[in-house]
Amino acid sequence: MAHATPSPDDASRKPLPAPDADSAAFWAGLREGRLLLQHCLACAHIQYYQQGLCRQCGSDRLEHRAASGRGRVYSYSVVHRAPGPAFKADTPYAVLLVELAEGPRMISSLVDGDHGAVAIGMAVEIVFDAITDQVTLPRFRPPRDGA
Amino acid sequence: MTRSLRARTAIIGTGRSQVGRVPGRSPLLLAADAARAALDDAGLRKTDIDGVLASPALAAPFHRFSVAFSEYLGIQPTFSNTLQVSGATAATQFNIAAAAIAGGLAETILIVGADSLLTGLTSELAQRALTESRDQQYEMPFGIPVANTFAMTALRHMHEYGTTAEQLAMVAVIEREHAARTPGAQMTVPISVDDVLNSGWVTTPYHKLDCSLISDGGAAFVVTSAERAQALGVPKPVYILGGGECYTHEHIFLMPSLTTTGAVQSSAKAYAMAGCTAREIDVAGVYDCFTGTVIMMLEDLGFCPKGEGGRFVADRQITYGGAIPCNTHGGLLSFAHSGMPGSLFHFDEIVRQLRGECGARQVAGAELALVHSLGGGFATQATTILGSAATV
Repeated sequence: MAHATPSPDDASRKPLPAPDADSAAFWAGLREGRLLLQHCLACAHIQYYQQGLCRQCGSDRLEHRAASGRGRVYSYSVVHRAPGPAFKADTPYAVLLVELAEGPRMISSLVDGDHGAVAIGMAVEIVFDAITDQVTLPRFRPPRDGA
Repeated sequence: MTRSLRARTAIIGTGRSQVGRVPGRSPLLLAADAARAALDDAGLRKTDIDGVLASPALAAPFHRFSVAFSEYLGIQPTFSNTLQVSGATAATQFNIAAAAIAGGLAETILIVGADSLLTGLTSELAQRALTESRDQQYEMPFGIPVANTFAMTALRHMHEYGTTAEQLAMVAVIEREHAARTPGAQMTVPISVDDVLNSGWVTTPYHKLDCSLISDGGAAFVVTSAERAQALGVPKPVYILGGGECYTHEHIFLMPSLTTTGAVQSSAKAYAMAGCTAREIDVAGVYDCFTGTVIMMLEDLGFCPKGEGGRFVADRQITYGGAIPCNTHGGLLSFAHSGMPGSLFHFDEIVRQLRGECGARQVAGAELALVHSLGGGFATQATTILGSAATV
């Protein structure tokens, strides 16, 4: 855990994901507008968190398939006090724990919606939010088609 | 035959630094303050220590805090480590100390932790430091403070079991009552449920007064074998009777259930080793980083049925005269929370309760106690059961 205390300059920038060997394809997929889930060809387990083996059966026969992008809010919390200066201007904002239609859960945040209207069980759909040339974040909003 | 650590070791010294706002004292000096108090309490000298188990400090980011601390204190131990499982570290320090002594790696271990989150870091950097415990790819880009992970479990608990904001607030109200009786506590002015509900949002459903403090301070303990405690003539050794841990996930989105945690398994292991049940525990230290955390832990530790934690607290079952007095020093919510050492203050209080030294806040007849530490959005769970000589 021992690491240098972040400088004030670092603290004012939002953390950007740095893809690693396990996650490079996942972040590349997001840049192309696809949320890639890992499907295990041995046991049919589906996982969001990208890794080199199936968490359920240990197989390395994993295949990327694009998610439907639909899900429901499993839980959430509206942040009023930001975790550091980088997020202060965004407050209040709703962090979502989304349960995807395919089963896995993921952390995201609400875009294009009223944070005060978020509720457990609410339907959401994915928005591909390109925040830099390299990084697109998977975020969520209430469905446009009213589904 | 099942191997057991039951009563193989005892806590023979406990000590604290000043806590709260303590400017001008580094984490290493706060740790030394606590260590000297614990050694004095044990009647030992620093050269009697052959092992050190520490937690890391954000304001003193040594790669090897336990080693840096030993150099600072002027000792050369033959057993040392710096443990890191977030807030659960405190209970693991006791469990691992007991195992190391029982296994012959050390004879007398100093457990220590200190940090200066209030005056040693700016508040922005303190918050930033806390957020770095979340995953940098899958969690932090969305601006999720560690508080938010606990908040999402609480909202889910409210959704599944009807737990109310007022019930959450009662945890803070009762712990403040306890802190008011504790010399040196950081926050002692009484608060009401309305005060909590009107204290401003941090992250829903948590208001400012639902959240633990940010503090400076440290604590230290001397743990030795039961045989050495007896040979030294320690008047009131506090025995380590059982320990258990459980690690169910790293990422909040992979937490198996948001409302039932690994504390079920960690406490079951500890109860089995100690040979007791929740019903027999006289006083408890329950990790209380947020009010809702306590409600969920009361259920998972077996003090009340699942889903009834809110009503249990509203019925004042966690204070004097109730089923299980908890956090009688005021806890992380009102006594002090200096990060990883925060849960060590629960241990300090429990040791003093079991020695009958707590004066106005003494729980009558306290012989058997539990401390539960947790961290990382319920990712890490560790339980330790302690008892007086009467329980051995």
